[in-house]
Amino acid sequence: MFNYRVYWTFAKKSFLRSAVYRFDVWSRLGSNIIFLLMWGSIWTALYAGKEEAGGVSFEAMLTYIVVSQFLTGVNGAGTPLWEIQEKVRTGDIALELMRPFDVPLRYLFADFGSVAFYIVTALLPLYTVLFIFMDVALPTDWLTWVYFIIASVIGFLIRYCIEMSFGLLTFFLVETGGIEDIFYFAMSLLSGSVIPLWFFPDWLATIAIYLPFQGIYYIPNSIFIGEIAGLEILTSIGIQLFWVVVTYLVLRLIWSRASKKVIVQGG
Amino acid sequence: MTLMRYIELYFKLVSAGIRAQLQYRFAFVMRIVGMITSYTGTAVTMWVMLYQFQELGSWNFYEMLFLFAIAVLSWGFCIILFFHFRSLDTYILNGTFDRFLVRPINPFFHFMAMKFDVASFGQFIFSIFVFIWVSYELGIAWSLGKALFLIASVVGGVLIQGGLLVIISAFAFWTTKSEQFYWVVMYPARNLTNYPLVIYPKLVQWFTAFVVPFGFVNYFPAAVLLEKETPFFPDNIGYFSPVVGIVFFLVAYYIWMLGLSRYKSTGS
Repeated sequence: MFNYRVYWTFAKKSFLRSAVYRFDVWSRLGSNIIFLLMWGSIWTALYAGKEEAGGVSFEAMLTYIVVSQFLTGVNGAGTPLWEIQEKVRTGDIALELMRPFDVPLRYLFADFGSVAFYIVTALLPLYTVLFIFMDVALPTDWLTWVYFIIASVIGFLIRYCIEMSFGLLTFFLVETGGIEDIFYFAMSLLSGSVIPLWFFPDWLATIAIYLPFQGIYYIPNSIFIGEIAGLEILTSIGIQLFWVVVTYLVLRLIWSRASKKVIVQGG
Repeated sequence: MTLMRYIELYFKLVSAGIRAQLQYRFAFVMRIVGMITSYTGTAVTMWVMLYQFQELGSWNFYEMLFLFAIAVLSWGFCIILFFHFRSLDTYILNGTFDRFLVRPINPFFHFMAMKFDVASFGQFIFSIFVFIWVSYELGIAWSLGKALFLIASVVGGVLIQGGLLVIISAFAFWTTKSEQFYWVVMYPARNLTNYPLVIYPKLVQWFTAFVVPFGFVNYFPAAVLLEKETPFFPDNIGYFSPVVGIVFFLVAYYIWMLGLSRYKSTGS
């Protein structure tokens, strides 16, 4: 049973809660800008004045990084991995199990609220200014914008399912050291968030293509700058849809196992 | 109290801390594994980045690894000595900070000696492995002078990063916030300095050299050891790293004590 209004309330509440912790929003935006500066400088230095590399123009590459950093902001505004782990470790999550809602969905909708607040108050103003003043290549075709937004939303859902699954692993492992570091590594490198897949060594690009992480940053970014175009857009979004289903099923499986485990332990 | 007495006390407090941490041996090992995984991840990212491009601002992969390893090594010592300073705000908010004030020793010293995080073995293993590997690949001719300079600049790096942690914690005296400042100011700054400073805009380079002197943690010393040029800065500026560290740390200590004199307990 899916009670839409309950979850909508979670989204609204977390939107309002974000408004109270405004310092968090500013600090997150501050570090987002520093990382944008870092990756922008790195790619400027890598191109070293060349117009293009690997068939991609410098302007397109810079756009790729700016868009990627925007999506990093979006994906980082929800409940962080460590907070889920902490809730499992302290047992707080047991309280949520007793309540009449589905926990993974409840967190997803809460994330919608806080992400919406962060986008509206911080990311959109900043990145609008950046797009106006920086030498970046905006899509001229409105359909590309639509595809980009669809791909970003699906990417967000894939990221959510994977991050939540990793968080719930805490139920089965007493110590998760190393596990979350693998997650962060995959999230930053294999997703193409800082280096696009076409610059990878072939073998690594092949691995990355068969993993869900590319759906989070690489596909939306590449659609934005036109590296993925035409019919390829539809296959890419198809791949994303495939991964969102798979990661969602994995999350469901882990969640059903985890909630049983709580019952066995007596809460 | 004399300095000797302080040193003796420091080791007593610290060894109690270590024994406590070793009670959880599995957790201890897993943290080290996690640290090594995460640094290896950054190193792999650097490798992938340079797979096609070969050079980043005239630094090749091995030189960048060397630069990274110096930062990791000094950060390892920094975690041991100063990392808990970032959570001073929690102590102040909970009122537990008061216990550092009622004892007949310097509160700064007492707070510093309270925790000794031994999990930075991960940093040591990673950086020493990288030093050996890079020395072999680049054919660095180590001499006693070079080794001493590396040690001295690591000490400088520990003091600079420790100093910044101390300043960040001192913010808690005025604003009752410090942990968040760590994540806004220091975490991104540490990431910036994993890459050669030469790639950043001049203003950023100037800032990291003279305002928050992170350039002296790894970029300038690495340039000296690898005999690389540092555009916009005098060559061999890296030799000043230990001095910069001492001065910066003294400034940080002064700010902390200034904040302490303003501190009012929450009274809870």
